[in-house]
Formats: sequence, C-alpha cells, structure tokens
Amino acid sequence: MTDLTDADVRVDVNAIEKSLSELWRGQQDGEDAVTRAALWNVVAHTSTSEAHVQAAETLGRASAVVPQRTIVVRSNPAAEAELTSWISANCHLVGGGKQVCSEEINIVAGGDRIHRVPPVVSALLIPDMPVAFWWIGDLPNEHEEYVELLLEPADRLIVDSVYFDSPADLALVSRIAEQTSTSPADLNWVRLEEWRAATASIFDPPPMRTRLNAIRRVRVIAGSSDHEFFGESVESLLYASWLSAQVGHAVDANGKVEGAAGSIDYAFERRHQSTDVGGITLVEISFEDGACASITRDRDRGVLVANVDGSVTVQSVTRTLDQQMEKLIVRQLKRIDGDRVLRRVLPIAIKLAKRVA
Amino acid sequence: MSVVAPAIEANPLREGLEQERVPDASCLVIFGASGDLTQRKLIPALYSLAHDGLLPPGQTIIGYARPDYTDDAFRMAMRESCDKFARTRPVDEAVWDNFAKGLFYVRGEFSEPEGILRLNARMKEFDESRGTGGRRIYYLAVPPQFFPTVTELLGREKMVSDPEQGGPFTRAIIEKPFGHDLASAKELNRVAVTTFRERQVFRIDHYLGKETVQNLLVLRFANGIFEPFWNRQYIDHVQITVAESIGVEKRGPYFETSGISRDIIQNHMLQLVSLIGMEPPVAFEANAVRDEKVKVLRALREFPRGHETDVSVRGQYIDGSVLGEKAIAYRKEVKVDPNSNVETYAALKIFIDNWRWADVPFYLRAGKRLPKRVTDISIHFRPAPYPLFNKLTNVTMQPNVLAIRIQPDEGISLKFDSKVPGPTVRTSPVTMEFRYATSFGAEPPEAYERLLLETMLGDSTLFARRDEVETAWAWLDPLLNAWSADPIGPELYPSGTWGPEAADKLIERDGRKWRRP
Repeated sequence: MTDLTDADVRVDVNAIEKSLSELWRGQQDGEDAVTRAALWNVVAHTSTSEAHVQAAETLGRASAVVPQRTIVVRSNPAAEAELTSWISANCHLVGGGKQVCSEEINIVAGGDRIHRVPPVVSALLIPDMPVAFWWIGDLPNEHEEYVELLLEPADRLIVDSVYFDSPADLALVSRIAEQTSTSPADLNWVRLEEWRAATASIFDPPPMRTRLNAIRRVRVIAGSSDHEFFGESVESLLYASWLSAQVGHAVDANGKVEGAAGSIDYAFERRHQSTDVGGITLVEISFEDGACASITRDRDRGVLVANVDGSVTVQSVTRTLDQQMEKLIVRQLKRIDGDRVLRRVLPIAIKLAKRVA
Repeated sequence: MSVVAPAIEANPLREGLEQERVPDASCLVIFGASGDLTQRKLIPALYSLAHDGLLPPGQTIIGYARPDYTDDAFRMAMRESCDKFARTRPVDEAVWDNFAKGLFYVRGEFSEPEGILRLNARMKEFDESRGTGGRRIYYLAVPPQFFPTVTELLGREKMVSDPEQGGPFTRAIIEKPFGHDLASAKELNRVAVTTFRERQVFRIDHYLGKETVQNLLVLRFANGIFEPFWNRQYIDHVQITVAESIGVEKRGPYFETSGISRDIIQNHMLQLVSLIGMEPPVAFEANAVRDEKVKVLRALREFPRGHETDVSVRGQYIDGSVLGEKAIAYRKEVKVDPNSNVETYAALKIFIDNWRWADVPFYLRAGKRLPKRVTDISIHFRPAPYPLFNKLTNVTMQPNVLAIRIQPDEGISLKFDSKVPGPTVRTSPVTMEFRYATSFGAEPPEAYERLLLETMLGDSTLFARRDEVETAWAWLDPLLNAWSADPIGPELYPSGTWGPEAADKLIERDGRKWRRP
C-alpha cells in the first residue's frame, strides 16, 4: 500500500473530487500508468482515532482484492467541533506488474459538525456503484436519526456482532433489514461460514439428509473471557438460529424450539479461553436414535473435522479460513447480493438470545 | 406448537454457502492415470476442489494404469504433482491428508478384463466403506485407439448403469481429439453410445472451462446493451486469434497427424465462434445452450470447392526467434518428418449464413511460434454512418472495437473516439478496460476444476455434444482434404512473426487489418 499524498483539503465535495482528479493525473504521468478500479463504495464509520487508523489500514489491504472507493469517517459528538478531510490512494501490484489503485477519503467530524457528515458522504459516493457501510463498534442506539441518514444510500450494513452489548443491537440490525433496502451483513456471520460448511457436509450424503428431521439436541460450546459480555454469545446464537431456520424449526417468543420430531434442546456453553473469544469450539448434534454428530476445531491443522458415529464413517474436513479483519471484509464484499439466509436467521437469534441473556 | 416434517431433497444447509452445490460422493476412475494429464491437470484440479470444500467427504478417486504402483506410491506421486501444479499451493497438509485417504490405484491394462474386474471389486468396497453408493465417473484419458476397448469392457462387465432405469449415475469423460475427421468422429461416437447414453458422455474441451469463455455468455446475455448491436447491422467483422509462442515441443508425433486445424480450430476456435454467434438460449441449461451453438455450426458457409485458398491460408514455422530466444523450424523438431507439410498456422475467412450474421466475415487465425501467447476475440463495429468530424479533424474516425481477452490477462476492452481537450475539435481513440485481475483480484479456478465439478454434478452445459463435434468435422473436412491434396504445401513463416504474408493479404484484400492483440 502506498500513500500517494496526504494533502489536506477543505471539506468541500467539489474540492475533494478535484483533488482526486489531480491525484490520478499525477499518477498517469509516470512511465507505468496505474489502473484505477472500484467495485464498491465502502464507508467505514469509527469514533476514535485508533479505530480510524485501523479501519483505513484494513480497507487499504482489502482494496487489493476488492477495489473500492474508501471513505473513512471518524465522528465523535463529544469531541471539539471540527470537520476536516484528506485523500490518498491505495496502490497494489497485480498480475503482470500492473499497479492498481483505489481511492481513500478520510473525514473527521466532531461536536455538532457530525451532522454534516451524512450529506458529505452521500455526495462523495461513486454513482451506480454499490455502497457498503461498515459500522465499527457497538451500534449507537442513542443517535438513531444520524444513523438513519448515514445509512440512507447504503446497500449493505456491515457490523461485527461480537461487539454487541445486548440483544437490542441484534434487533436494530434485524429492523434495518426488514424496514429498509439495506441488507445486513455481520462479520461474526462470516466467521461462522466454515462451521456452517462443516455442518452442511455432515448432511450431504443422501441418507443423512433425512436425519435433519431427527435432530433432538444441539450443544454449542464457545470461547469466553472473564467478562460475561453478550457479544461473546452471538456466534453460538447465530449458529443455532441458522440450523433452525434452514431445517424449518418453529421458535417461539421464549426461545423454545420445536422440530418435526418434537422439541429440540439447544445448550449454549462457554469455555474460558484467552484467544478467539466468542468463537465456537465444538458443536454436537444428537439425533433421536441416540447417534451424535460432532464438529471440532483442530487448531494445529487449521481445519474443522466433522464426524458422525454409527453408519457414516467418512470424515469431513473443512479448511478454516483466515479470520483477519480485511479477509472477513473481503468475503463480505465478494458477495454481490444481500444475504437472504442471514435475514432469516436474525429474528430467530433475537428469540434465542433469551436463552443466553 | 407442531411442525410438519418437510420433504428434504437438496441439503438446505448449503443455501447461501460459497459451496452451494456439492455433488454426491462417487468413484472417479482415471484410465491412463500414469500420464501427464493426470499429473499436471486432473489430480491438482481435484485437490484444489477439495481445498475449496467442493468435494463431498466420501469422494473417491482411483487411478488405473499399467505401471505397478501401490496406493501409497500413487499418493506420493500425486502429492508431488499437487506441490508443483495445484492452483491452491502450497498444499494444505490437513486437506491433503483427507484427500489422500480417498485416493487409490488399480494396476491394469486397458484391454485386460482381469484389471477391470479388480477395479470393479474395489469400487464395490468403496460403495460401502466410503458411501459412493454405486455412482461412477470414468475419465478416459487414454490414447484414442484404446477408447473402444475400455468402453466395451466397461459395458460387458456391467459397470455402466442405464440412466433410463434410475439408480446411481454413471458418466464418462472423453478428452479430445474427438476423432481425426468426420468418419473417425462418428465411429468414436458410435462406440461411445453402444455403452453409454449420450447424456452420460461428457466431452471435455478445456476452453469451455475457462472463466472468460463462460463470461462470453454473461457478457452477451446478462447485459441489455450489447445484444441490440450484436448483428450484421452494426458489426463489420469479427477476428479471433489463438496464438502460441511455443512450438510443438514433445508433441511432434501427435502434431504430425493433427496440425493446428485439428488441434485448435476444429474444437477450441469453433467453440468460440459458436458462443459469439449463437442466438440467446431459452435457458441456461445444457441442451438449450448446445442447441443454439450447434445451429451456428450448421450455418457455417461451406468452403468454395476448388477455391479453398481464397478463404484460407496455412503456414509452417521456420527458424527464427521468439521473445529473444532462438527457435528452430518445425521440420527440425523431434520426431517430425523433415519434409512435413503439416500446418502450424492457419488463417480462415468464414461466414455464418443466417439472418443475424449474413455477410459478416469472421477472420480466424491460430498458430504456433507466434510473437506471444494470446487468445483474443475482437468485435469490429461499423463506422459511424456520417463522418461529421472528418472535415474538421482531417483524421479518419476509428471504428469501435470490443475486445475480449480470453488469455492471459483476461478482460474486456472497448475502444471509442473521444475529443482531445483543447480549443479545436480533435479526436483520439481511447480504451475503456475491464480486467479480471484488477476487479476481482483472486485467481480464477483452473478450467479442469470447473469441468470436473460440473461432471460430478451432472451438468453438461460446458461440454461438447455429439452433434456439435460431428457438425464441426463435417464443415472442416473438405478444407483439410483440399489442403492434403495440394502439392504446394504450407507457406513458411519465421518463428516469432505473426504468420505468413498470405494471411495478411487474406484480410487486407477486404480493406481490413489484423488487430494486434
């Protein structure tokens, strides 16, 4: 990644666009012209300078795989009143030694100037290109109007539910999904993808598929810290909700789950660990005939291993994917359409949350 | 609260996953497993599928060949292949360990019933132990002369299920060449359908597994803007170039019997012509797509009898240099006849005689030892109807060109004229570019990965159908016969050039030029 310029400019949309044009013109003068590319507008919303730097670095690395116009916003209503911006380009070498660059615009707002952020961001988006809004940290329920204005042009809202401090945050995301055209996306859900794939592989053989209706108990163990923080349970909740949503279980308002073979017992357990807090470490699915399928994480080999006792003896191995933040963001952005499964899962997760709250 | 058990057919847990379609486990037998294709392409492709989580847990791969390997020795050899050739390198130990557990070897001759029976016995074991349930895929990576023997043995030993009877599937994958001419292609197909039904036969043309080739369909039929212009009203001509910088290397004996026309034009190039020329299919489904492709092949104008050279040029490379390296003449290559008249270059001017393409020439050229390796399709549009700016600029306006780069550096570009900034009206051609690597970053899967997966899933959209193969031969045979009867032979061209001069004249006669790809 190369910072091509750090030139400060006034927060005037025309001035920013003009500076961007000059930036590109400067790049074309060299012997090896750069290619400018963008598939997404990605707006990262942060509230601290530390998060701002991290978001810019993360999206800079992500832009090597998914070229984008990046807008990083640092907005803090409690800070001194200010509104500043600067631009830069993230350049990467691709095949054939070609240099590909994506733009990065940074906006810092404090005090009552934060209300100027939504229109500025909106005006800086590349037309006809989808908009992903990455909200870093807990969702600010107290500034709902500000959030609504910011999200107005968003096709996708990316959150990380591991930071959620209560089921109300899940409910807010679910409400946005239901009431607006913004699709929800959750990095915690992306972390879960390999667990979903490993679970799906258990039920790929046709004889196993019928056993989806014979599930009686699901035990999910996740890593936890010393603190009893809600976000640490969300990955387990999403997993259980996904299983129920896809198999067609009925989940009542109290989180009671009913399947074709009767009620299903979901057990959410926590195991203290210092790393991968909130991450699932073991899943056991028991069937009405007493058989049990299990998925365990083999950290040394970097895989999830699925086994079923009884008739099926072939082990399934699912490679665990890189969980670095930019990789999670990239996996989100590579999905062009909204995630219909997550939309289905969120309302169930809110109900099941009563079991872990 | 009561829930009615839904009937579960597809695995609902796959919905929304990157691996949304995973095939049922089967025994995939590679006949000719000691060959180059298995080591360089097939096993690395299968490993990469496993790496990406696209193979079912019990997928079983059995190598069948003459050398005396054990299962472990075969696994070791295949591990080396994956280390060298797999797209997803370095090899992931955990994925490999699990993949290797499904890798087996059976020693046997292609014509030996005992070997085939040993194979059958092992597959039956795997049906129980690995859950392959009688499902079979036979990859016939064997020399053409062994094809009838192997298929007949499979049939005789009842190792092929009949899809009309239901039950577990059997599929056969056939590698090109699909015959040497129309008669041999028909014979090959006749043999195939004595054992398999046509829908069980998957004829691999690896070009169809390339992302960019598949993108031709997406470009044409997923975008509303191109199709209205995709016809004789707006298109002046089409050029397709398949250029290779290498010579025949170790393939001299094969090339002596095939030449570039049989090696490239009859299959890869005509696939590209049919994808460019086809009408929209009624569905993205195997027979709907292939029906439209074969219509294009049927509409190809016959070569003018006795005047074949008016529309065709053949060449052969001589000493020269490619990319700064000295290159020897074709006739000096290993196991090549020093007096050979086999063509290493061919250029054709062809027409699709139908409503859409009437009188629009398609210029095709394919050759070896050309300046670079590139496969490129360019659609040349007619110029603007009235030269509004010519008097002002004194410059002839450039026609628009839509260029589709199949390999390498895959992408699409559109050339159009733009005003040069300044007080006077001056125009200059500019290019709008889309590059896969720039926009999508990740390495696309290898063609064989896609094609093997499609076979396991039973989708033959990306495979050549019998009538496609036979129609292509029926069209090309007269030209090949005319060439072989021509005592003059191919025009020689120095290695590292864009082919014989006659190829330039072929297109320049029409007031056009080859595009520099």
